[in-house]
Amino acid sequence: MEFKFRRRDFLKGLLSGGAVALGGCSPEKTEKVIPYVVPPDDYIPGVSKWYNSVCRECPAGCGAMVRQREGRVLKVEGNPKNPVNEGALCVRGQASLQGLYNPDRFAQPYARNQAGKMEKISWEDGINMLAQKIKQLSTEGKIGNAMFLSGHVTGARAKLIDTCSSLLGMKKRATYEAFSYESIKTAGDLCFGRKEVPFFVLEKADYLLNFGADLFETWISPVRYSKDFSRMRQNDGYYKKSVHVEPRHSLTAAGADEWVSIRPGTEVFMALGIGHELLKNGKAKLSAEESAGLNELLAAYTPEKVAADTDVPAPTIKRIAKELGEAESGLVLGPGMAGGGKNSVDTWVAVYLLNHILGGINQTILFGLGESIGQTDSYGDIQELTARMKRQEVPLLMVHETNPAYSMPGSAEFKKAIDQVPFVVSFSTFPDETTEFADLILPDHTWMERWDDFESRKGAHGLLQPVMDPVTDTRNFGDVLIEVCLKILGGPNEKLSSKTYYDYLLESWKGIHAASGETKSFDGFWEGALRRGGYFAAAQPENASFTKEIVSYKFMDAGLKGSANEFYFYVYPSGRYFDGRSADRQWLQEIPDPITVAVWDSWAEIHPQTAAKLGVKRGDVLKVRAGKSEIKVPAYIYEGVRPDMVAVQAGQGHEALGRYAMNVGVNAVSILPQDKEPKSGALPWLSTLVSLEKTGEKHLLVTLDGSLDDDNRGIYQTVTKAELEHGGDHGKGHHAEKDYQMYAPHEHPTYQWAMAVDLNKCIGCGACSAACYAENNLPVVGKKECGVGREMAWIRIERYFTKKDGTFRAGFVPMMCQQCHNAPCESVCPAYATYHNNEGLNVQVYNRCVGTRYCSNNCPYKVRRFNWYTYKWDNPLEQQLNPDISVRQMGIMEKCTFCVQRIREGKDRAKDEGRLAGEGDIQPACAQTCPVNAITFGNLKDPKSEVFKKSKDPRGYRVLEVINVQPAVTYLKRIT
Amino acid sequence: MSKKILIPILVLFVLTVASIAGYTVYQYPFRIGYAPEQPINFSHKIHAGDNNIPCQFCHLYARRSIVAGIPSVQTCYNCHKLVTGTKNPEEVKKVLGYWDRKQPIPWIKVFDLPDFVHFSHKRHVAKGKTCQECHGPIETMDRVERITFFNMGWCVNCHRKNGADDDCWVCHK
Repeated sequence: MEFKFRRRDFLKGLLSGGAVALGGCSPEKTEKVIPYVVPPDDYIPGVSKWYNSVCRECPAGCGAMVRQREGRVLKVEGNPKNPVNEGALCVRGQASLQGLYNPDRFAQPYARNQAGKMEKISWEDGINMLAQKIKQLSTEGKIGNAMFLSGHVTGARAKLIDTCSSLLGMKKRATYEAFSYESIKTAGDLCFGRKEVPFFVLEKADYLLNFGADLFETWISPVRYSKDFSRMRQNDGYYKKSVHVEPRHSLTAAGADEWVSIRPGTEVFMALGIGHELLKNGKAKLSAEESAGLNELLAAYTPEKVAADTDVPAPTIKRIAKELGEAESGLVLGPGMAGGGKNSVDTWVAVYLLNHILGGINQTILFGLGESIGQTDSYGDIQELTARMKRQEVPLLMVHETNPAYSMPGSAEFKKAIDQVPFVVSFSTFPDETTEFADLILPDHTWMERWDDFESRKGAHGLLQPVMDPVTDTRNFGDVLIEVCLKILGGPNEKLSSKTYYDYLLESWKGIHAASGETKSFDGFWEGALRRGGYFAAAQPENASFTKEIVSYKFMDAGLKGSANEFYFYVYPSGRYFDGRSADRQWLQEIPDPITVAVWDSWAEIHPQTAAKLGVKRGDVLKVRAGKSEIKVPAYIYEGVRPDMVAVQAGQGHEALGRYAMNVGVNAVSILPQDKEPKSGALPWLSTLVSLEKTGEKHLLVTLDGSLDDDNRGIYQTVTKAELEHGGDHGKGHHAEKDYQMYAPHEHPTYQWAMAVDLNKCIGCGACSAACYAENNLPVVGKKECGVGREMAWIRIERYFTKKDGTFRAGFVPMMCQQCHNAPCESVCPAYATYHNNEGLNVQVYNRCVGTRYCSNNCPYKVRRFNWYTYKWDNPLEQQLNPDISVRQMGIMEKCTFCVQRIREGKDRAKDEGRLAGEGDIQPACAQTCPVNAITFGNLKDPKSEVFKKSKDPRGYRVLEVINVQPAVTYLKRIT
Repeated sequence: MSKKILIPILVLFVLTVASIAGYTVYQYPFRIGYAPEQPINFSHKIHAGDNNIPCQFCHLYARRSIVAGIPSVQTCYNCHKLVTGTKNPEEVKKVLGYWDRKQPIPWIKVFDLPDFVHFSHKRHVAKGKTCQECHGPIETMDRVERITFFNMGWCVNCHRKNGADDDCWVCHK
């Protein structure tokens, strides 16, 4: 091997010499390789391992599969073996990594010192302090009023809290979840004598009438219901209809076939009106006697009367009733958090009644399969606790996995109440609003660092296992509690015999093993559960019978009457922040809201008519006043809301929760009045009218959409069922002349990677985008940079508003690099940094890129992203970076690669087995996580592959086909 | 000498010295013949050469992973708890010292690729490439020395010669 002193090297040396001379003569350090002293069992450096666990970002409890390499967690994906989510994960689940590596999570325990400041303490001191406090209260005889306030916990954790509470003589724990479905529970109690959250079998239904449940974002189990919704619509060739009735054009409304805008709080009357029509048409699947009774109950709700109440035209009500009656198994759902007014129990009773009329009880609605979220206390119970706290009757409050100081309205005065509690202990991992009041903080692990279990619904026991060492000096809440307990009790006893939480969990699982009837030994059972991510037994539904007393039920209205200058205040939950708990994840702030495409903000959605009346434009700050409380929030104007309402998203406006959540937007829930649903004790989110006032201030509301619609460019294409039945749609879009080629076509000897995106399935949730951020080391640029179009998302959900025959709708197009055959970016690159390779990919070589940005200018899809800076990750977020991908620096162009590292890995695995990579070997991150399987990836050279079939589908089209760039991505038209 | 001449000469002198120093520094970890002193005078010649221990006996991940792996202290100890060494017993003692202190040995990297390169040992081993084809006659070296300049041209030439894929995305990640 020869080595010559070349001119280039000399120049490089000259330059770096200068740099060194200027930089204080610090030569680059030699690199060290530090091996293990004793390597862990079956450890292979450079090879990722996947551990099954349970995602605990929300109470749904989806199965998660966590990728770990060299001791670091790199990615979270859905566990295909978990029946809740079957391998998919939502946008929040994907972003859970940013909770694990959150720079603001507590690094160690803290205690309040004499001066009232929080001070770092050791774990020993913290545990002693808590034990001391409990002992002291015991001697004083006050321990009976000390208690736990926890979020929704199940399994061993719940059992441990309850055991310890009773052993120490404390009050029974209270559980608070902001989204706890009290109206569903109470309505179930009234209709069936079953106070539970049932399981709705969407995939069995052939017609869905939804009065506002946000199936895709937060409602009960969003991944489960997204999946089932999609399956329902796809059953037997795409002909199942869903109708969404909601005052706002929500994400779920966009996913439905039809959106019916209704006056807020009047869903109950529309449901009853439809019931009336069903009975009249003789479509009720009931006995004659029962029909007669119901006839009387529903006689008053004629479509004409209902139309006057609800603002839904009588013919629409009649048509929907007719369609629903003709369906074999229609399913009706009620409102979720948004739209849940002071009559939300009545609405759900009406919904259950409709399902009963349709014969759906025990068919499409199953009881006895208990969603575990049904176990939480109601908002009314927590209000009662708040009152007790305010009267200084609670000497010690231990807060665990819940944040009522943020998620309860200001009028509930939780903050005032918790301030009256002499000693507050928080086990929160993050510095949230409730923890601000803590005297002692004993931070818990995140779910990726701990042993635990979670029962998402009856029989579905998920098992959590630690996938990496704790990122900071936190401890498992269970271990801390056991240690405190044993310290006070002086040692183990028969109720609490374990010394660690792991042992306690094992004991608890011995019970599950015994109850399971499995013949294998416990060790085998436990190992199997670990490998599978839990133990999932099929629970049998229990028969529920509808009460005869319904005939005397009085249905109430929402009690929202005000002056003409007042507007319905419609607060709705966010699919990205849930009840506000995940607002501290940068990705979720930067991945835009699906409907408004706004980032890093809150906004008030108003109708153009309202805007004209108030004289406001987008970004004008509005004062939204409810009684004495008010929020200031910029206006967003579109036709997705009624002219008599204003809609604000919940989840933002944190006063704590770390640097990414603080000072972003406003907390809409905070101005709701002190109120509760009379029958269930739920917090009615739709409970007030507000006045709107133009302040004259301007606010920079950053939205990432270029325009509201696609300017008839055929980017978002739809086809009607009729057109499809008659052999495709002719005359739509412009087809390029396929044979016209300036250059010789590329050759793809073995593989030609391609993608198909089914717009009929896509619900626009944004999970793909979050997965891409996690997989491909995408930097977060912040609001200001987003405002000048410098966001770095490789896949984005483009939202296009359409208006056909007077109906306003939103459509979604996931947009990523189209890997064009005649790529316009390639021919303009002066550095040959981008070219077409022999596998059909449009390659971007970062080292060759000199940053001219010609490629981006010439890209018709605007999918190329330029690094305007060398973006930094706040420590320890950089630990999440995927080592299979370069981290790009300033001046480099980047874009979707179809997850080339996953292609490489899939081919590698196939090569090991001496074959070619085939169907199912390779899945890009976006396709993997899609809850509705809208994205298909594969080899176009294989005529048996799914993607090949889809590329020939009659619904298939390519975006901007007319410019003949021949994209590798086929979109399948949405059926309207 | 007037300042008018002195200053340019001084500047030129400083620049020249800085350039030579800079060039040396630039080349330092990348140059051919780079053979840094290791914390232990480990001899591949004794192990792989004289005693014929197969490479993958210690670098056991080479056939399974992208990286070959530097052996753990345990791997050394497994033999050296019995083998005291005839040629360099004091170096063996050093190893045992690390084991007793449960301390990893801070080896200095000799062969390195930039972070933007994907290279898989597994694929090359599976294809039947010997270690020596890239790393040189390691089994003759008392102290490991880099004899190959791992630049792109070197990789591509070999890929072309062997009919392997030479697409950019095979290596660039």
